[in-house]
Amino acid sequence: MPSKTFVDPDVGKAPAQLYAERMKRFVDVYQLKQPDRIPIQLGFGYMLAEMYGVTRQEQHENGAKELEMMEKAGACFQPDSIMGLFNNPAVSLAVGDLMTKFPGHGLDPNGSFQFVEGEYMKAEDYDAFIDDPADWGIRKYWPRVFSELGGMGLLPPLGMATFGVYGLYTLGSLAAPPLAKALRVMAHAVEAQAAADQRAVQTVQRMAELGFGPPTFMGALIEAPFDLMSDTLRGMRGIMLDMHRHPDKLLAAQEKVLRFQIEYAVAWCNATGIKVAFIPLHRGSDGFMSLAQFEKFYWPQLKAMQVGLVEAGIMPFVFYEGVWDQRLRYLADLPKGKTTGLFQSSDIFKVKRAVGDTMCIMGGMPNSLLQAGTAEQVRDLTKRLCAEVGKGGGYIMSVGVGEMEGCRPELVKAWVEATKEYGVYH
Amino acid sequence: MNSLVQAITDMREEEAVRTAKEMLDTGVSPLQVLADCREAMSAVGRKFEKGEYFVSELILAGEILKAISAEVRPRLQQTAQTKQGPKVLLGTVKGDIHDIGKDIVNFMLDVNSFQVTDLGVDVAPSVFVEQIKQREPLVVALSGFLTLSYTSMKETVEAIAAAGLRDKVKIMIGGGTVDQQVCSYAGADAFGKDAMAAVALAKQWTEGKIHAQQNVR
Repeated sequence: MPSKTFVDPDVGKAPAQLYAERMKRFVDVYQLKQPDRIPIQLGFGYMLAEMYGVTRQEQHENGAKELEMMEKAGACFQPDSIMGLFNNPAVSLAVGDLMTKFPGHGLDPNGSFQFVEGEYMKAEDYDAFIDDPADWGIRKYWPRVFSELGGMGLLPPLGMATFGVYGLYTLGSLAAPPLAKALRVMAHAVEAQAAADQRAVQTVQRMAELGFGPPTFMGALIEAPFDLMSDTLRGMRGIMLDMHRHPDKLLAAQEKVLRFQIEYAVAWCNATGIKVAFIPLHRGSDGFMSLAQFEKFYWPQLKAMQVGLVEAGIMPFVFYEGVWDQRLRYLADLPKGKTTGLFQSSDIFKVKRAVGDTMCIMGGMPNSLLQAGTAEQVRDLTKRLCAEVGKGGGYIMSVGVGEMEGCRPELVKAWVEATKEYGVYH
Repeated sequence: MNSLVQAITDMREEEAVRTAKEMLDTGVSPLQVLADCREAMSAVGRKFEKGEYFVSELILAGEILKAISAEVRPRLQQTAQTKQGPKVLLGTVKGDIHDIGKDIVNFMLDVNSFQVTDLGVDVAPSVFVEQIKQREPLVVALSGFLTLSYTSMKETVEAIAAAGLRDKVKIMIGGGTVDQQVCSYAGADAFGKDAMAAVALAKQWTEGKIHAQQNVR
């Protein structure tokens, strides 16, 4: 049962003090130190729309409304950090993005944002991709995945258009109507995304003013090289066949991808001052590939990416989606105290034993328990998580994903209270 | 194990297709080639169960089978025997378009002799109800990856009950982070953590019922 005598230690403190205390908790756990108390992040996602009675479509599209809901939820639950949704459909709608589906656009207004994977790059495109990913991407890939950018296929080879005064003479071809239209679409898409970025920054600033710590997912968004090839280019079917049919080309392509992603992350972190790269992982978890395949096609590239980021002073914040129980020993090779791992469905106690002295661990509370469990079950698990996974520090209490749709507010309340009660270090 | 079965089982794609062609060219019956393919697919399924093979091998095995079928089909005088195993209705529930887990379950049920009808993704409760009436399966398997799918699973089970069909089928759920909590919430009979669990449940639920179903037909 939730303890009736619970007094929230955070209530009554000034926002500036709360912010300083919460921020310190995150800084401590990222460095594997023991803070005063285990920080808890609530990645509400669509739970905000459910609690405050708006459609998911509105939550995605109305930034002011989402901020208002985050303020209310923050005041009600008082977590150390709070998150809403991470994406706005404006840029995808502007370019006619075929790789995503948003509520209210091809889905019910209360549907759930989803990726639509496809074989957008064919096996026979590998040579062109490896030769010049940007040229192939802009002229061949964009028309396939962005329905409003079909005209980009009419661009001259980018090498030709780039160099010398003869290159300038190719610019006239950009006046062709489909290409001119694509360029106007691009200008509109740029404005849409810049506006979304600005709203995201305002939201983070406002929540900080109210005393909440930084959302952990905030960082340069990049992917493991294998996942970028799979998610955005070859599709899962294609990439699984590539490991058998085109292993060398897959490896060569990943080398290119690794290079430009690290370069992007370093530039993003320098520009924003936020030294974090968020890396959600998809195909490397248990079940998709054998350990032999993992050792050849997935881990060396992902490890090189994380080591490269750490060397550049950036913390990789890695979302180990799915189950990683069979491959935790690889993770133990990462630089100590320099990375954070959010674990979705791995055995979190096993994770602590395997990598507790390597990385900061986040996760542990199953969404299903907050949806269909009892307050007593939630408190019991929270107590065990604090005692075992929180032991010695380096732990952030959270659900295993950045989404809490369907979770019951009274159970979430019991969970936060239990964390503040059992998560105190003496 | 003959050389065709061996080549498929070992994922030697080109050799498998070439061997199948040679067999057909030298007068081996197309039905025999298909029987070898079935034997090989069962072997691939067993390796998947043992954790020796993973998704990539299942996909490649499917590709090899497709290539060999293309060789066999024009030479087939009679249609191959239709399967007699128990019927399973499978689909990803409404609002969710994830298909990987569902496809693996389909593969594993298929190589274990079940007659699987795959309704695809984003399947509305009414479609499940309609298909249960039409096909009379013994087992309904609901797949879902998103947390949103928990609610869709519950709605699907409720729709099946409302149509008076709940006692005609056993319902399993699987995918993503589905667990016992979700199973109780959705009102399903059981949940499975992986495709092998789906096969075990389907076997357990249909044991001794195959003949009953055949008699009805």
